[in-house]
Amino acid sequence: MTLKKRFAFCFLLLCQIILAQQDTITKLKEVIVSDKNLKNFSNTQSVQRLSDSIINKNEALLTDLLNFNSTLYFKEYGRGMLSTVSLRGTTSSQTAVIWNGININSQMNGSTDFNTISGSDYNSVSVKAGGGSVIYGSGAIGGTVHLNNDLEFYNCFENNLKLDYGSFNTIGINYKTTISNKKWSAQIGFSNNSSTNDYKYVNKYNWKGEQRWNRNGEYTIFTMNANLGYKLNSKNTLKLYSQTSNTDRNTSLVTETETPSKYVNGFNRNLLEYEGNFGKLNTNFKTAYIFENYQYYADNTTNNYTYGKTESLIAKADIGYTFFKATQINGVLDYSKTTGTGSGFGTNTREINAASLLVKQDISASWKNEFGLRKEFTDNYKSPVLFSLGSSYQFGKLYLLKLNLSRNFRIPTFNDLYWEEGGNRDLKPESSYQAEVGNVFTFSNITLTQNFYYIKIKDLLQWIPGKNGIWSPQNTDKVNSYGAETLFSWKKQVGKNIFTVNATYAHTISENSDTKKQLFFVPFDKATAGISYSRNKISAYYQFLYNGFVYTRADNNPEEIINDYTVSNIGIDYDFRFLESFKLGFQVLNLFNEAYESLENRPMPGRNFNMYLILKF
Amino acid sequence: MKFSKLFLIALSASLFISCSNDEEESNKPEGVYDNGFFILNEGSQAEGTVSFLSNDLITFEKDVYGPANNNDIPGGYLQNIFFNGDNAYIISGGSNVINVVNRYTFKLVDKIDSGLVNPRYGVVKNGKAYVTNANEYAWGGAWDTEGNTDDFVAVINLKTNKAETPIPLNGTGNRIIEENGKLYITDPNNSDKLLIVNIATKSLETPVTIGSNADSIEEEDGILYILRGPYGSRSEIVKVKLSDKSVSKITFPETLDGAGFMDIEDDKIYYTVGSSVYAINDNATAASTTPIVTSPAGYVYGFAVNDNRIYIADGVFTKDGQAYIYNLNGTFLKELTTGIGSNGFYFND
Repeated sequence: MTLKKRFAFCFLLLCQIILAQQDTITKLKEVIVSDKNLKNFSNTQSVQRLSDSIINKNEALLTDLLNFNSTLYFKEYGRGMLSTVSLRGTTSSQTAVIWNGININSQMNGSTDFNTISGSDYNSVSVKAGGGSVIYGSGAIGGTVHLNNDLEFYNCFENNLKLDYGSFNTIGINYKTTISNKKWSAQIGFSNNSSTNDYKYVNKYNWKGEQRWNRNGEYTIFTMNANLGYKLNSKNTLKLYSQTSNTDRNTSLVTETETPSKYVNGFNRNLLEYEGNFGKLNTNFKTAYIFENYQYYADNTTNNYTYGKTESLIAKADIGYTFFKATQINGVLDYSKTTGTGSGFGTNTREINAASLLVKQDISASWKNEFGLRKEFTDNYKSPVLFSLGSSYQFGKLYLLKLNLSRNFRIPTFNDLYWEEGGNRDLKPESSYQAEVGNVFTFSNITLTQNFYYIKIKDLLQWIPGKNGIWSPQNTDKVNSYGAETLFSWKKQVGKNIFTVNATYAHTISENSDTKKQLFFVPFDKATAGISYSRNKISAYYQFLYNGFVYTRADNNPEEIINDYTVSNIGIDYDFRFLESFKLGFQVLNLFNEAYESLENRPMPGRNFNMYLILKF
Repeated sequence: MKFSKLFLIALSASLFISCSNDEEESNKPEGVYDNGFFILNEGSQAEGTVSFLSNDLITFEKDVYGPANNNDIPGGYLQNIFFNGDNAYIISGGSNVINVVNRYTFKLVDKIDSGLVNPRYGVVKNGKAYVTNANEYAWGGAWDTEGNTDDFVAVINLKTNKAETPIPLNGTGNRIIEENGKLYITDPNNSDKLLIVNIATKSLETPVTIGSNADSIEEEDGILYILRGPYGSRSEIVKVKLSDKSVSKITFPETLDGAGFMDIEDDKIYYTVGSSVYAINDNATAASTTPIVTSPAGYVYGFAVNDNRIYIADGVFTKDGQAYIYNLNGTFLKELTTGIGSNGFYFND
């Protein structure tokens, strides 16, 4: 009580809108986020938004957040190690990661490592299933993952500090300060996540009968963020997003005796954005500079490494005009220039120009149409005309129907094009057609979303041995992927008791159209569930993940699979309310001590523990 | 401790039995895997496998190591097998391990896990194994010179299974053979030289320049036969006379660019180009352009000729590969489904 008084002065500075109460509720509903295009041109597809309250309940790295809360399937080379994603049965470079509207998949290998990203660096993380190349460019075939820093303009001064301490010496620090008024908005923060990561492998012993454990698995991920917004006046806004990160990881050994290696990678991203709203006319200009690099130390006892780095300059002009009340047309021109240098691919530059047209038509409050067209111009590859066509219709209060048809692509990476030896400069982009139907049912406290999709992908890039044994990428396979996704959320309040249930389930068939075999490392089934209960200051939750078996061989040899696994987490926290929020929590991860792995010989930890403290002041 | 002692006793006992059998020249099977051959499947960074087929081509086992050893993993990127006495030594390049197993039962005897960095191929002379180690690879970094000069030959005492002082190669080394107390080493990636190591003095002799991309190496009647298949120029069989290190060559026509493997059997040189197998007499002066057989293998990754049969491994990395067996006329005998990245045949007789 006295403490409360002592901090009373703090409350004067606090935000007028206090979302703390909502914090205890695990929400998993589809809402629209601030990325302009994600807000304006995603009405006909499924967007699942994970708010900071959900982010806080999960382990720090993005893999855990998305693994336990979405239909995304992950392959992890051990806890905290390289982690790649697959959505709707596509490959790891066919899901694009979008940072505040900019595609940040690696220019070198085409994918994103989800264990180099801390979820709490963002206000929200959204998963948009389905094609999105018209807006987000290369890689948006299976879907897009959006990392959003939303800037808000109201009087606010708030500090957020999250501290984690868990098994295997896992330490997390995340600090974020928000200072804003009606003209200015600033979010500045950092996160540092590290672990010695020396967990025991459940029920695994070497030939001498000794317990096996995760050797050489140490990691540290440090990220700094600064996001600023300035409203020149009611019509003109400037925003600057900036982020720097460094990940220093050893790579877990698969056998005790192999040479221990190390992988260091980092990025620096800066995005300057101007937004002008002049009634019917609105403009948006973006300039971004993105730098990424890695160093791989094949033997981490030496200072010898291979490396790669790319620098990208992106400029984007988006001019929109609203005709009548219902139709908005946007013309977008963008230019990007990427220069890459690496020990494996020399120095190369690639320039891409693109023009796109986006049309949105709100015929009525319940009927919305979207149409988009994009064409890229570059010397590096022949670019198909991309399109997206969608419609959504709300039938009464109960049922919302979404239809979408799109053509998407994934361009060859620097490694594919320029690797010495083997790089192939005559590659075509991977391209796909996708059709999907989304059904959203809403009744009282329940939201049920069901998506059905069909994706036809051709010219899949694959490295295969050529003459003289030199491996080289070729446009080889065709894949048909189809399936269903179900997202369920339920929330009920009885007096002071709040119950929520969220669940996802994905059934995926992704087969090579020549062999009719399921792609390896695509599970037929994946399900997640989260149940939470809160009352006053206390909140308890249970998380569940089921990942079906995957084939590890192209011929679907039934003996060569990774078994299905079920992982459960349980957590409880209590808000002491010393400050605006002073939450102490305790989690048991992998509650039932399941021995599991998502890749061969890459065991994940058994039962382990985590404690956290979340302070808001 | 007790465990390894027990193994030592078992080992010495089996050695004894093996020796006495040799004297009697008995052909009685020593165990399940006598009278047959192993197919090495390179596998992944984590795990390779070994398959077995009996000489009568009837009994096939896809994976012999795991089931014989409580599903122990022999390591990743299995590169080579060599034999000594009753033991087979399976080199895992990815895990820096040599698995010592009984060659007839495939039961694990010991693991040699020190003194190895990316081990490649091994030979045995007088109770010691000599194993080439690529050490650090030169992958285009600033230390290229280091990666290309740090390879070494590990010297392993096969009584203790411990590594002794290694022999630095001051260059790169891959395949290795032993002849008259000398080691002859080729390397296809970063060398145009045949390296020669004197075992007695543990020192390098003057290397012989043979040209780049030299890999398969065989000795026959005092002559070394080395096949090279450089990219963009002609394949060659380079002959090095052991007595005076003089070099002569059989240069292949352009149609045979990119030659892969070579084996010599009964005075005949067998070599592969693409999926085809060719043969010439070992005293021939020109290459044959008429294949004995063209196998369905998409990527010939292992090759051997032994006891009137030709063996071809198709290296497949996304699923199990195949092995094809032919007689010397190219008549098809057997096809096998093996494992990931099948790369060699090792005859247990």
